[in-house]
Amino acid sequence: MSTKEENYELAKWLAGEMTEKELSAFQQTPEYATYAKIAEYSSQLEAPVFDADSLYQKTISHKKATPKVIPLYQSKWMKIAAVFVVLLGLTFFFRTTFTTTELAENGKKISFSLPDNSQIVLNSGSEIHYKKWNWDSNRKLDLDGEAYFKVAHGKKFEVNTKLGKVTVLGTQFDVKSRNNRFDVTCYEGRVKVQYKDTQVIITKGTSVSFDADFFERQRITNTKPEWTSNQIIFRKENLKTIMEELERQYDCEIVLNSEKNTQLFTGTLPSDNIKTALEIITSTFHLKISNFENQKYILEDF
Amino acid sequence: MENTDSNGICEELVFSGFFKANVKSLRNYLYFKFGNEEKANDITQDSFIKLWENCKSVPLEKAKSYLYTIANNASLNEIAHNKVVLKYAQNNVNKDRTNLSPEFLIEEEEFKHKLEKAIAKLTEAQRTAFLLHRIEGKKYHEIAVMLDISVKAVEKRIHGALITLRSEIEQFR
Repeated sequence: MSTKEENYELAKWLAGEMTEKELSAFQQTPEYATYAKIAEYSSQLEAPVFDADSLYQKTISHKKATPKVIPLYQSKWMKIAAVFVVLLGLTFFFRTTFTTTELAENGKKISFSLPDNSQIVLNSGSEIHYKKWNWDSNRKLDLDGEAYFKVAHGKKFEVNTKLGKVTVLGTQFDVKSRNNRFDVTCYEGRVKVQYKDTQVIITKGTSVSFDADFFERQRITNTKPEWTSNQIIFRKENLKTIMEELERQYDCEIVLNSEKNTQLFTGTLPSDNIKTALEIITSTFHLKISNFENQKYILEDF
Repeated sequence: MENTDSNGICEELVFSGFFKANVKSLRNYLYFKFGNEEKANDITQDSFIKLWENCKSVPLEKAKSYLYTIANNASLNEIAHNKVVLKYAQNNVNKDRTNLSPEFLIEEEEFKHKLEKAIAKLTEAQRTAFLLHRIEGKKYHEIAVMLDISVKAVEKRIHGALITLRSEIEQFR
């Protein structure tokens, strides 16, 4: 067989593309045996093995090392930005969802407004907790102490204290919850007061007082609580309660060395002049101020 | 259409599939060409890195020819070649032939040895085409794409390779 005119028929044979006729003719040639062996043994050959996996890892990690990699750079700053967004969100979430506390320390009064513009004046030594979140449809707050409310019209407004609950629709009223004594005074509109199992509705110019064994309803004439204009009013209160109120108002300590203080006091004391206030008390209860230093007063029997 | 395809090769899963399907052929092709494992591995890796870096501009259906173009260009500067070292597969041959005569086995070993030597004497073009067909099991048209030549040219190289091999082997006799 001469090679020139064969039209690469060896290649055809190797690829299995010969016709049967061509093939049987080829098999008759003396060269065939060698070609067949070449084909057989060459197909048993193998290239040296290599580690394709590590080659892949190098290829993939190479990309990460190149400075061209913009996504990584972007995502780094995106991460930082995301952290800020989350923090901001959390701050907002905590500020709105969690309880807000307003506190008037002893000797101080504070006034503030709620999200719906209801006005609140907080008397000395009192505390209010409420939630800003969804305030307009859930007007509820917890009071410890005494506060004066000017409630904007809207949905039900609820004041919870340890002693009782006051529910209104939009009025001006005062709630005082101290020790066992629960006082609610209504200056405008109507107020529903709940004390233990008792429920009363009071209207403008009415005040109710509850105690463990005591309930009284009174008419009042003033249009806002006396304590908001630096007066403290007492209605049938014992000396101990009065002393406590004075301690809160003046942020001082009053020690009472007297046994006979069972009388109940009704009257008004100033909350901006402790001398006058104590003089009124001492002359009423027949006491004297025996000593005072560093905001500490000691009262004794006269 | 083209857009999704070019995004396709940038997906690591797609790229890894493409890598696995093509890495052995490319690497062995380069090995047949150079006879140098290290060089073959390096150029294989470089070619895949270039493809990975430019994955956005290479549609998946063009990735293979892109890969071989890169590899071929990179090979231009490389000078061949050490001796191509190949091994015979161990396990698929002798199992059903254990009862053959020792003379035959010796003859067989001799032939294998001669074949190796003869392959080493082929030209680079013949050797590459021949081994891609015999070892990698590539069809002529596939080899044509890899080498960027016509199918006819592949057939010519295979044909030439067979003639050279036979004459080399018969010379040893």
